[in-house]
Amino acid sequence: MEQKNMNWMKTIGSAILGFGLITSVFASTGPEPFYGVHQSGISTPAQLNTYFIAFDVTTTKKEDLVKLLKDWSDAAVDMMAQPEQFDKNADPTKIPRKSGASVGLSNAALSITFGFGATLFEKDGVDRFGLAKKRPEALVNVPVFTGDQLVPERTGGDLSLQASANDPQVVEYVVRRLAKLANGVAVMKWAQPGFNGAFKAGETGRNQMGFKDGTLNIPTKDVKLMDKHIWVGNEGPSWMQGGSYMVIRPIRISLDHWDDMNLAFQEETVGRHKSSGAPIGKQKEMEELGLKRTDAKGKPVINEYSHSAISSPENNEGTQILRRAFAYDNGITKVNERWPPWRQLTTFDAGLLFMCYQKDPRTGFIKLFSKMAQIDMLNQFTTHTGSALFAVPHGATKGHYIGQDLFED
Amino acid sequence: MSKTANRSIARTSPKSFWIALFGLLTATGPVIAEEGFLETITRNQFLAPTTLDNGDGNPYAVLVAPVSVGDIEKDDVLVDNFNNISNLQGTGTTIIRYRPGTKETKQFAKVSQQLKECPGGVGLTTAMTMLKTGWIIVGSLPSKDGTTRTKGDGCLLVFDAKGNHVATWAGPNINGPWGNMATIDKGDKATLFISMAGFGVPSFDVIDPQTGYPVIVNKATVLRLELNIPNGKPPVIEKETVIASGFSQRADISNFLFGPTGLALAPDDTLYVTDGLDNEITAIEHASTRTDSAGKGRLITKDGLLAWPLAMLRTEAGHLIVANGKNGQFVEVDPKEGKQLYGYWANANQAQSPPGNGNLFGIAWGPDRKSIYFVADDINALWTATP
Repeated sequence: MEQKNMNWMKTIGSAILGFGLITSVFASTGPEPFYGVHQSGISTPAQLNTYFIAFDVTTTKKEDLVKLLKDWSDAAVDMMAQPEQFDKNADPTKIPRKSGASVGLSNAALSITFGFGATLFEKDGVDRFGLAKKRPEALVNVPVFTGDQLVPERTGGDLSLQASANDPQVVEYVVRRLAKLANGVAVMKWAQPGFNGAFKAGETGRNQMGFKDGTLNIPTKDVKLMDKHIWVGNEGPSWMQGGSYMVIRPIRISLDHWDDMNLAFQEETVGRHKSSGAPIGKQKEMEELGLKRTDAKGKPVINEYSHSAISSPENNEGTQILRRAFAYDNGITKVNERWPPWRQLTTFDAGLLFMCYQKDPRTGFIKLFSKMAQIDMLNQFTTHTGSALFAVPHGATKGHYIGQDLFED
Repeated sequence: MSKTANRSIARTSPKSFWIALFGLLTATGPVIAEEGFLETITRNQFLAPTTLDNGDGNPYAVLVAPVSVGDIEKDDVLVDNFNNISNLQGTGTTIIRYRPGTKETKQFAKVSQQLKECPGGVGLTTAMTMLKTGWIIVGSLPSKDGTTRTKGDGCLLVFDAKGNHVATWAGPNINGPWGNMATIDKGDKATLFISMAGFGVPSFDVIDPQTGYPVIVNKATVLRLELNIPNGKPPVIEKETVIASGFSQRADISNFLFGPTGLALAPDDTLYVTDGLDNEITAIEHASTRTDSAGKGRLITKDGLLAWPLAMLRTEAGHLIVANGKNGQFVEVDPKEGKQLYGYWANANQAQSPPGNGNLFGIAWGPDRKSIYFVADDINALWTATP
């Protein structure tokens, strides 16, 4: 990324909904490597589709858990390396190992990312797998934020996996194949598919609210910035060095309500112009916010409680996270709105599958969102319905499985 | 601004005040005759969220602690919640405590939503007061599904100054204690005035075919409770008197119900009542001594800037400040003259229509009586309107 853009990113880089951040949805179809210092799906350019799923481990045997991670790693290697193919030597009397659902499709820049929740280390006071002492300090219990309306069915989990690719059928197939491998070891707890619009590469796309939105807020090729803000370093345990911490939160957006707001109010809420993406009162998307600007009456040009202002690093001591979010739409659902007039209605169950990575959630998302949860103007259109934090260990090397040094050190 | 300037403005144009929560709107106001309280108010400031980990929301009552006792320090602000985490009205069970000095917010009290002694359960309302002896009395108008379809009669709950629930008052005169209380507190004796908005209110889907709205009933009352407060023991009711009755009520899918809400007592023993549905303020004479109902009382003012008036305060100059439910305005009224003086946008949030609709409810004087605490139901927060 050019220096010019990097400077700009530092200015506006921490928003939750990411309005105005530069987009990086790439229509790449090439294979992503499974092996490497970092797991795939973190610094990988965001694809068009994702499928996130969390599991609760049911086995009490460490060896079962290890075998699952080995199986998952092997299957991930297989699926990420090449397009799916039928087994020409399949025994017709046996259940096929592969369903064939993605045969004929490329693997569409597939990335697969695995994580460990705090409850894997200790659950209800029980150290099931001898991991309690290895729980990193940064793998905290995420606090309940103002306005959170979390439901257990979309919160927490012992294990996480996320498949992302530029094809919805590929990610669904991958998750189903990996979930099958967990039979008898773990049960599915919650899941959420997501998507991104296929906007032109290098052009800022728009979110469901009609505003320019993006997915990358730190240039992932900037090693220094990534090391500073995203990758766990020497401060963490060895199995996490090169890894990161993922916060994931499904955020339902009252899109129907939002669509009824006049344009000026929408822009005031976001702090940016809808068409251009420029900060209020400015012409170009890439211009700095200029939060100190005031009008003739001394009123801030950008509302001090707007999403852009409240989330800006200059109001948050420079906090930065790597945002890697997708939109979601689960059709319709019955909702009791959490603001006047307290409507009880059937509306779209749609919004943002917020995901972000950081070196330490205590100085990343938690710090950033504690304030935003209280007074961000967008909060009157958004409801956080789920929440989870996962330690995403470093990537595997050939012959090893994900998280191996957590279990074998 | 000087009085001279006011008079000049009064002759030429409506008074303007700058705003507000989300967006800038201009206050509306009729001709101004003299300086009032709202003219001194210039800005609104966010103080703290009012939600807790249990997810309760829709803050209703606001009160400022008159004394330091138990877990409460003088000038702490108590706020209760009408909704639970499912956003259902009539299910909130928590009272939060905001400490201005430290800006700390924490749960002060919580009670079971299924409390058997309270008919229908618990949904805490704007009826809340704190006595000098430290007892906190708060109303409950409960529901199971967030509407009046499952409304219970409710009750009054008594908490000690550590937030422990110590007594429940229910009975035939108590049905939907709703609006902000007026209180005469003499230490070992106290008199409470409470609007009762629940009598006979049916489900929101019982529609009057002539209006197309839920049917209106006229059974709401103002109840006077005379309390005895034994040393160190919770207050007990010595006498109950219905001093006003016949106020309009109706169910509402958005606002739960309409009924008499705000109460303010003047030194001449006149109790002023806001009547949300009829959009008026009335006066009940001899409020602390009368032995019968005054009906709805004497009309002071109606319509104009009023828009579903809810909680009410009385200024030292004898004016009334009401919080509008239908928009986000405070309205100042001179009850002696029966004049509406100002409208001030405390909450101009355009996410509701009209702006601020449904966002205001409880209000309370700041400790210096130069500012007003108010709740913002749209974002579940405590705010203050200050000079």
